[in-house]
Amino acid sequence: MKPFEEQFTAWVDGKLTGADLAEFEKQLAEHPEAAAERDDARELGKFLRGHPTAPPLANPDFFNHQLQQRIAAETPRPVEKKRPFFWSVPGLAWAGAFCLTVSLVLYKTTIPAVPPTARARSDYYAQIVEIWSKSPNVTASTVYSPEDDATVIWLDGLDYIPANYALKQ
Amino acid sequence: MRPWPVVLLLLLAVARGQEPPPDTAITVSSPGSGPRNVEGKHGKIWSGVIMATNVTTPRETPVELREFLPRLKRIFGYNDFELVGSETETIDELTENWLVPTPVFPLSVTARPAPSKEARGGYLLNLKIFQGKRHLVDTEVKLAPGSPLFIRGPLYGKGQLIIVLQVQH
Repeated sequence: MKPFEEQFTAWVDGKLTGADLAEFEKQLAEHPEAAAERDDARELGKFLRGHPTAPPLANPDFFNHQLQQRIAAETPRPVEKKRPFFWSVPGLAWAGAFCLTVSLVLYKTTIPAVPPTARARSDYYAQIVEIWSKSPNVTASTVYSPEDDATVIWLDGLDYIPANYALKQ
Repeated sequence: MRPWPVVLLLLLAVARGQEPPPDTAITVSSPGSGPRNVEGKHGKIWSGVIMATNVTTPRETPVELREFLPRLKRIFGYNDFELVGSETETIDELTENWLVPTPVFPLSVTARPAPSKEARGGYLLNLKIFQGKRHLVDTEVKLAPGSPLFIRGPLYGKGQLIIVLQVQH
């Protein structure tokens, strides 16, 4: 069975006939205000049918343009996204401080402390680029001792110095 | 208060703390020219004349020679070393510097910074070795801190004279 509202709409529109109409009118006896509602609905329907369409616009394009402009003006603009913190000056400063701290910690923890003398005695050694004797009897040669990390200029032909010769004059 | 100016100041302070302190003016002596003032950042050359002998009871090695002692023993075969004289001279680049550890062995040094990276702030020296007024040898030597140059000098008494040159910072 159809609901009451549906049957009422069909009754207002005059579409109920036969047994359905008789049955519904029996139910209407319990609703005395139904006849007044039907009259109002018919009045409204008649009025709407009398004014079927909107009046034609003289300048539809201009009207649409104005409408769009108004919509655009009333639509809230999207808020500009804030620059991410990392690329700002304070962000970079914090990143620099962080890197400096990390590098200092790594330096202190990973590089063993070497005593200055041991550090100084590394892979570099004294090198003789060239050597010339300037005295006729003197010969000069170069000796490098890798195990001692030492370079020696070996001078031969020098005069013997007696022990009584004062070196500290 | 924004924290980033404080962070920047801290970074600057740390960076300043990593720099070596600026050298102050150093007064050094030079034979024939009297005291002179060398401004700015300069290395130094230490020179020493050693008397090496073999004795039954070696004496205590002077402090200045302790870092060279194992090498001196192995290379020259002596067991007793006495520092006859020494001199430290501030390197005045491209100017002739005189090192007179003893008047018997004056050394003329003209230095310029060694260009290679592994020289670790070392110097390329034009070195002239004299015995008194007798010009013995000219040589070109690369020296770096911790890489001494030994010069085997004449026999002296029952031992040997050895000259040592070392760059210092």
